[in-house]
Parts: sequence; structure tokens; C-alpha cells
Amino acid sequence: MSDQQLQNLIKMINQISANNLHHGDETATAEIVATHLKKFWARSMKAQIIDYAEHGGAELSPISKLAVERLKA
Amino acid sequence: MLHYFDPGKSSFDPNRDLGTPASPSETLVSVSIDGTAISVPEGTSVMRAAALAGITIPKLCASDNLEAFGSCRLCAVQIEGRRGYPASCTTPVAEGMQVTTQNGKLAKLRRNIMELYISDHPLDCLTCPANGNCELQDMAGAVGLREVRYGFSGENHLDAETDDSNPYFSFDPSKCIVCSRCVRACAEVQGTFALTIDGRGFDSKVSPGQNQSFMDSECVSCGACVQACPTSTLMEKSVIEAGQPEHSVITTCAYCGVGCSFKAEMKGDQLVRMVPYKGGDANHGHSCIKGRFAFGYTTHQDRIKEPMIRDSIDQPWRVVSWDEAIGFAARRLKETQAKYGRESIGGITSSRCTNEETFLVQKLIRAAFGNNNTDTCARVCHSPTGYGLKTTLGESAGTQTFDSVMKADTVLVIGANPTDAHPVFGSQIRRRLRQGATLIVADPRRIDLLKTPHADRTMHLALTPGTNVALVNSLAHVVVTEGLEDKAFIEARCEPAAYNAWRAFIAEQRNSPEAMEAVTGVPAEQVRKAARAYATAGNGAIYYGLGVTEHSQGSTMVMGIANLAMATGNIGREGVGVNPLRGQNNVQGSCDMGSFPHELPGYQHVADDTVRGHFEQVWGVKLDNEPGLRIPNMFDAAIAGSFKALYVQGEDIAQSDPNIQHVEAALRSLDCLIVQDIFLNETAKYAHVLLPGSTFLEKNGTFTNAERRINRVRKVVPPLAGKEDWEVTVALSNALGYPMNYTHPSEIMDEIALLTPTFTGVSYEKLERLGSIQWPCNDQFPDGTPTMHTLDFPIGRGHFAITEYVATNERTNRRFPLLLTTGRVLTQYNVGAQTRRTDNSLWHEEDILEIHPSDAEVRGVQEGDWLGISSRAGHTVLRAKISDRMLPGVVFTTFHHPSSGANVVTTDNSDWATNCPEYKVTAVQVEKVSQPSEWQRNFQTFDKRQQAYLEQSQDESASALK
Ligand code: SF4
Ligand code: SF4
Ligand code: SF4
Ligand code: FES
Repeated sequence: MSDQQLQNLIKMINQISANNLHHGDETATAEIVATHLKKFWARSMKAQIIDYAEHGGAELSPISKLAVERLKA
Repeated sequence: MLHYFDPGKSSFDPNRDLGTPASPSETLVSVSIDGTAISVPEGTSVMRAAALAGITIPKLCASDNLEAFGSCRLCAVQIEGRRGYPASCTTPVAEGMQVTTQNGKLAKLRRNIMELYISDHPLDCLTCPANGNCELQDMAGAVGLREVRYGFSGENHLDAETDDSNPYFSFDPSKCIVCSRCVRACAEVQGTFALTIDGRGFDSKVSPGQNQSFMDSECVSCGACVQACPTSTLMEKSVIEAGQPEHSVITTCAYCGVGCSFKAEMKGDQLVRMVPYKGGDANHGHSCIKGRFAFGYTTHQDRIKEPMIRDSIDQPWRVVSWDEAIGFAARRLKETQAKYGRESIGGITSSRCTNEETFLVQKLIRAAFGNNNTDTCARVCHSPTGYGLKTTLGESAGTQTFDSVMKADTVLVIGANPTDAHPVFGSQIRRRLRQGATLIVADPRRIDLLKTPHADRTMHLALTPGTNVALVNSLAHVVVTEGLEDKAFIEARCEPAAYNAWRAFIAEQRNSPEAMEAVTGVPAEQVRKAARAYATAGNGAIYYGLGVTEHSQGSTMVMGIANLAMATGNIGREGVGVNPLRGQNNVQGSCDMGSFPHELPGYQHVADDTVRGHFEQVWGVKLDNEPGLRIPNMFDAAIAGSFKALYVQGEDIAQSDPNIQHVEAALRSLDCLIVQDIFLNETAKYAHVLLPGSTFLEKNGTFTNAERRINRVRKVVPPLAGKEDWEVTVALSNALGYPMNYTHPSEIMDEIALLTPTFTGVSYEKLERLGSIQWPCNDQFPDGTPTMHTLDFPIGRGHFAITEYVATNERTNRRFPLLLTTGRVLTQYNVGAQTRRTDNSLWHEEDILEIHPSDAEVRGVQEGDWLGISSRAGHTVLRAKISDRMLPGVVFTTFHHPSSGANVVTTDNSDWATNCPEYKVTAVQVEKVSQPSEWQRNFQTFDKRQQAYLEQSQDESASALK
């Protein structure tokens, strides 16, 4: 995995989170984001973002973090 | 009695000219013509009624695609109870009318008229290019002209000079009979008004613009006048050169999403000219410069004629046999998978190839590669349409036919430039505007549609690039808060919970035009006026293009558009709807055919076990249930080293995709790049295997246009390198050990029909019978579906989606104070590989940067200066054009020429839902420079080297043959 590839994944998930946030309802948004990733992201991309979250996920927005939690489930 | 309901589209031979247009009336009127009784719609001309009864009246100035004009008088008839000899083209039928079309008096009258015409006409019929296909000649024969008493010595126009300025047709005024068909065609059919009749009486003559040459005039070279001309005055140069064609085949234009039908007129295996086909339901006999004239690339010397391979991109090519090339490619793919895993390879399908070819490529990837790493160039244009429309309306497609616009009262065009990018449909919108419809354009540029003559009810919402969602939300806010909603529609057709949530959201003050004015730059009062015009017009129709999708909120904007249409009840009948204007010819088809990594054909998700089970059963393999990589993900993975081989059919990702330097780095990291194309395009320069592609003239198949219309593509000449594109995919699949045994594209279509619920009723046999089919076509809609969502949505009820405006990260700042937006021009097509290899380049030799006078002034920029354009992604150099079409602060360019490197500057920002790149917004700085950018210099060196490799290989192959 290259640094840039990971950076792009982080940027993508944070952007998905930002675009689905409505009236600050983080739980609902996280659910939407997780569903989106399940539906549209390739297996390897999901694995990479989960791995990143497990190692701290410093650059993930709070909603993105919640979404990755749900992705694991 | 013959009974005709004649609504224009009928079973009549479209090759016949019935003289005047059809009347839309449903009231029938009975008349008798030369004793034959016939009933026709009220308003039909006597000439058309006669033609419907099988009686031909001589004519010169009439044609059934133009309003009757009544100038030549050759069509005179006698009507019982009326005096004189009325012109049958301008006389409407009346109940009980008795018409005589032939008798001694009429014959004499017609002969006299013809005599006058001929006395001012050169009698060089034998050497005239129209010989054998000239209406003047035909009429002279029909009226029995035997002598010309006036002689030819009087004053005449015989030595008028020919205007050869247009590369595709010539204008020889000495042959002109001043019937004004060309003038009317340019006005009524094309809507450009480039031609006028200058002077009066004997002095009158046809003239482009103010006595300009065709090239210098407003003419856009659509060819409508050439087609309308009854003589050889306006004539295709290809016919002058080759002579009259002897047979023709009906096929579909391979240039844009309008999908015009054409007659490819042939002489043996030489294509002499393309003539738009009146029986085509997308274009009704009209065309634009690209489809009509720009076919020279198909026989261009640069065509790749033989398969070639090489081990590394720093080596010359080796010309090999098909078997060797396919074997080499298959071996490389297998080795890559063995070394790096099943998911390390993938493919890209083409929006220019046929449905059948696209279907096969994604099948090859899913079944033979064993993964879902398939994507298509629609990723970079209309993927947000798929996402947005599927979420809201339940189907990833436009809702209407093109003809539906003729019933629209307000036409809302967002981020599209139809007169350049979808010219034939642009002409149709103009026709409707001249009839009185209101036009609203939401676009940062003042597009040409706004210049439509006689369209005074126009509004231009000149928004700042990147603020679409803010604008559409404020439009919807006005609809909701001013009580302009269609409550009955919403209640009957839409999901209530989602609607209520959306309504509460959109009604919030922060979405009002007043609050959003600071964001969009559009005065609130204009937004309110536009919203009212759209919502209360009766029929409001929305057309949108890449100015909607190619943004970080592309998908949100598509949903915002669908919300607006649902809230006002503008869905589910003619004259309304939500219509994406597709760029390339088969964007719709490539999306339908399962090119996206998460969807099997028919937009069926790969994780759906039932659906996948069906495919597995028919294809006889296990399929992956997880989505694959999209194009930008493939590039990232390639640079990271986990993605190693790619099969690209008919796409040029190294020119069309954003942030080119990133793409180039990705392509260089591949162990095996297989490119199938008609030219050595930019991507092919990085390839290890080059497989010759075939043009649309060289294969059978289907394209699906922007109105979901499946049109046949028919082979008129054999493929240059021996294989149609689908045959190449078949060979590759067989070499990989996954058998494919198709012998004709119709068998592929049968498989598509078997696996795709919206295609179950489609077959070549039915296409032959109906001409074209708009999907869905199945048991419920056996003849297809012109208007979608008439009773319900595929998801049951329409879904209002919340569309929060989120500003893009791409913002102007001190370093990059301007916004760059990109687009296209009429004469060039996409990456230009085809159109640059035709005379269309005379109109657009290079990509230029349009800049507003005030921005130019502060930078001391003059017209024609070299300008360096830099963004955070890269730097390139283009020539300046000062233009006030743009807002101050916004600059514009195109990407038709690879060396201009417009996409060196665009960034990797993309739509949040689909990764569709944000081509329409890049923050840039512009300054005067004296030399090309570093990228451009590297490009030239690399290009030279690759061209040399190609030449070397061809020299070798030529000497091997000796
Ligand atoms: S080619 Fe088209 S635009 Fe040009 S003069 Fe003829 S009709 Fe008008
Ligand atoms: S150029 Fe042709 S169509 Fe035009 S007025 Fe002359 S004869 Fe008629
Ligand atoms: S409008 Fe499009 S489909 Fe029609 S001729 Fe032009 S390029 Fe071809
Ligand atoms: S055809 Fe009727 S007047 Fe010319």
C-alpha cells in the first residue's frame, strides 16, 4: 500500500461522511456511509481503511471512524 | 377510401419526400385527388395529401422537412370551384375538395415555368456532379420540357464564382434556382440563420452571412442546406470527387449521445457520403458536422492495421499475427495473476464501442479474470447520473424521448451546451424555443443556446462554478415556500417520510435564494423568477450535462434535480422529465451493459445472490460478490504496486482523465497494458500489446443513445485488420481458457436479453422490424418505453433525497485566484483522436484558453499570447482568447488535443459518491510565458519516441513482406 493510496481512501471516506451529514446526526450518517462503502468499495479498499482505523485512524473524521466500525460488523 | 392518420411517424417509406410536413391534427378531412378519395388530418397540404394517395405533383421549392413556401409555382393544381391555379404545397385540404393534378393547362403552365428556370441554368448535365440525382433534371423530365425559347444569351448567372471555402461542400451559385430551400433549412431545421436571399427579383441570390464565404460566416457546417438543395449548387465535395453512390446502408453515428441515424452511401466498398436518415427517430433527418462529414478518420493512414507486441515500453513494436498477439496477452495476464493474485488485473470498457462489445469485455473480466475490476470512461462523465437517478427515481437513465421537448413549456438547461455537444438536439430545442417556450440556462458560461433568435423569454443564471447544489436547493426552496408544489403528484407518487424530511430541510431559511446568493453569485430575484417559470409553466423539462456531474457534489446535484422535478410533478408524461445529455455515443449503453465494478448488466448489484446466481448459471462460473476497483482506484493500486495488468478497449485514459501525470505514473507501473484501439492514442504509447480496433463502419452491433434508444450499427466495409472488436475479446477469452463461441453480435444481444430484465424483449429481429427500441423493453412494454415512470417508479415510490450543499475543497486563493472549467467545441469530439484526423481541425486547430477581458487586462494579456496555467496538480501552456462569454474570474478550455495538456492541470478531486472527477472546477493562476511547459516538452519527446517505434515496426513488417 502506498501512502498516496491510503491518503486518497481517507479523503474519499471523509468526503462521503461530509456529504451525508444532515443536522449533525452522526449515527445515522455513519450508517449511510458504511452502507455506501459496502456497496461501492472494493474488498481491498475496505480492508485498507479498516486496517488504518485499527492503527489509530488519526485522519478519519469522527463519522468516518464510526462508519468503519460498522463496516467491520 | 384511403384512410390515413398521418402523425409524421408512420409506415411510409422515409426515403420519399411528401412535400410538406405532417399536420398534428386528429381531425380528419376527406378530399378527392384525381378521383382518388383519401382522408387526411386537417391542415395537411394538398401536395402531401396527394403524395399519401400515391400521386406525385411536380415541385421544386417544397420539401417535407420545411414549411411550404410557394415560390416556384411548379406544383400548381386545379381545384373545383376555385379560380386559377393554386400552389398545392401552400394550400391546405378542405372537406369535400376535388383536386386535379394533371391536365393540359397545368402541363403547359409547368413547362413554361421550367423553361424560365432552365434558361438561366448551365446545361452541363452530363458532367454535373448531381447528374442522376437532381430534382431540376427530374422536373424537366416530369413536365416534358422540350425546348428553351429564350436562349441562353440574355442576362444570366452562369459565370458566378464557386465558393470552395468549406472543406466538405462547395457552393456553385451558377446552378442556383433561388428556391430558398437552403435558407429555410438553415433557419427551420438547423436554427443557425446563416443564409439569406440577397437582393430581389432577378438579382436575388443566396448568400452566407453578409456576403461572406461559408467558412467566414456563422455556418456550422451541419449540411442541412446541402441536403435540401435540389440542384448541385450545394454539393458534397466527396460526391464531386467520387460520383453518385450506388447503394446505401442505414447505421448510427458513432460520435455523440444523440445517436443520429444515417444512410451510409457507398460506391462499392468506398463510403461516399453520410446522409442523415429521415426514418431515424432521434434525428428525423438532421445531422451535425461530425456525423455528416467527419468520417475521413476511418481511412486515415494512422489507423493501426496489425497487432503488435513488445516487452517494455522503451522498445520498438514487433508486428505479429493475431494468434501471437492474443497468445502473448493471455500469457502475460495469467502470469500476472499467478504472481500478484486474482485481483491484480482488470479492464476498461468503451463508451464508443457497441453494447455487445462492452458486454463482452465486462463478461471477460468477471468470468475469465475472475474479479470485478471493470470500469468505463463513464466514470469520468456520467457516473453521478447513475447514482443520483437510481437513488431518487429508481432507474439510471433519462426519462424522455428527444421529441418530448416539443411539448415543453419551460426548458431548464443546467451545465450543458447542447448546440456544441449535442448539436442535433440543440437544434430541436431551438425549434421549440422559436415556438415560444421559455428557456432557463444555469451555467457559468453564456452558451450559444441563449442566442437563439426569437427566444426572448430567456433567463441566464450565471452561477459560480462549483455551486450547483446551492442553486438547485434555492430553486426548490422557492417551489416549496411559495406553494408551487404539485401536491397531488407528491401524494400519489412519492414516499411520504422521505418527502417530509426533505421538505423540512429545503424550507429552511439557509436554502433560500437570498441566503445562497453570496455562494452562487446569482441574484435572488432571478432565482425566484426562474423557479416560478419552471414550476408553473405547465410542462417543465430539465436537460443537464457534464456541468452537473463533473463536480465534487455531482451525485448530490443529480438528486437535487430529480427532487425539483418530483416536487413540481414534472415527471411521467411528455414535455417534462429529467434528461442527462450523454457525451459519447454509447455512454448510456456502456453503463447499461454492466461496465461498473459494482453492477452486473442492467444495474444489478454484484452482491445480490439471486441475480448473481442467474449469471453464474448462464456463464458457467463462480462470480465474485464484492465490487471491484474503479478507474482512479486502479491507478492508485497500480502506483502502490498491487495492480499490474490492464485491458483497455477503445478508451484513451491517458488523455481524458484528470491529473494526467498521476495517470502516466500509473500506466508506467503496469507489467502488461493491452490497448485495443484504431489509433496509437496516448494510452497506447504505454502499452505492451496493441490490438487494432475497428470503426463503427466495420462492425455490426448496437448503440444506446441518451434517450435509451437502442439503434443498430451496421457493417458497411470489412474491418481493416480483419477482426471486429467483439471478435478480439472472444479470442482473448478463449486464449485465457474461458470459452466464448459467438458467431454474430445478435447472439450476444440474445444473452443480454436473457440476463437483463429491462432488455428481455430486445432482439435484432425486433430492431429490424421497429427501427429502434427504447428500453425498458419486456413483457410489460413489448415495443419499448418512450416515456418512463408514467405510472410508478421502478422502486415503487419516488424518493426525495436530502441534498446538503458542501463546498468543494477546490477554492480560489492568493496563489490560484481563478477558476478553470473545461468543456468541448462542436467540431471536435472528446479526446479528438477521430476528429483531429479530419478537416474538422480547420475549425479548431488547438485548444485555447478563454479569459474574460477584465482578467486579461490586469495580467497584460493580449489575444493570442501564450499563457501558462498552473494549478496545484500541474502546469501547462495554451494560447489566449479574450472572451466575455465567461464570468470574470473564470477561465475555460477544451481537451481535444493531447499536447495542450488541459488535464495536466485538473486535479484528482472527485464526486463523493462515484469518484467522477471534478473537471469543472480547478483553482488556477494564469500568466504570460514564452515557452511550453515542462510537461509539454516531455510529452513531445515521449510522443516522438513512441511514433518512431511505431514507424520502425511498420518498416520492418513491410520489408518482411517483400
Ligand atoms: S451547413 Fe448548416 S449551418 Fe451551414 S449554411 Fe448550411 S444549413 Fe446553415
Ligand atoms: S442553393 Fe440550392 S437550395 Fe439554395 S436556393 Fe439555390 S438551388 Fe435552392
Ligand atoms: S448530433 Fe451527435 S449523433 Fe448526431 S450527427 Fe452530430 S455527433 Fe452524430
Ligand atoms: S413546390 Fe409548391 S410552390 Fe414550389
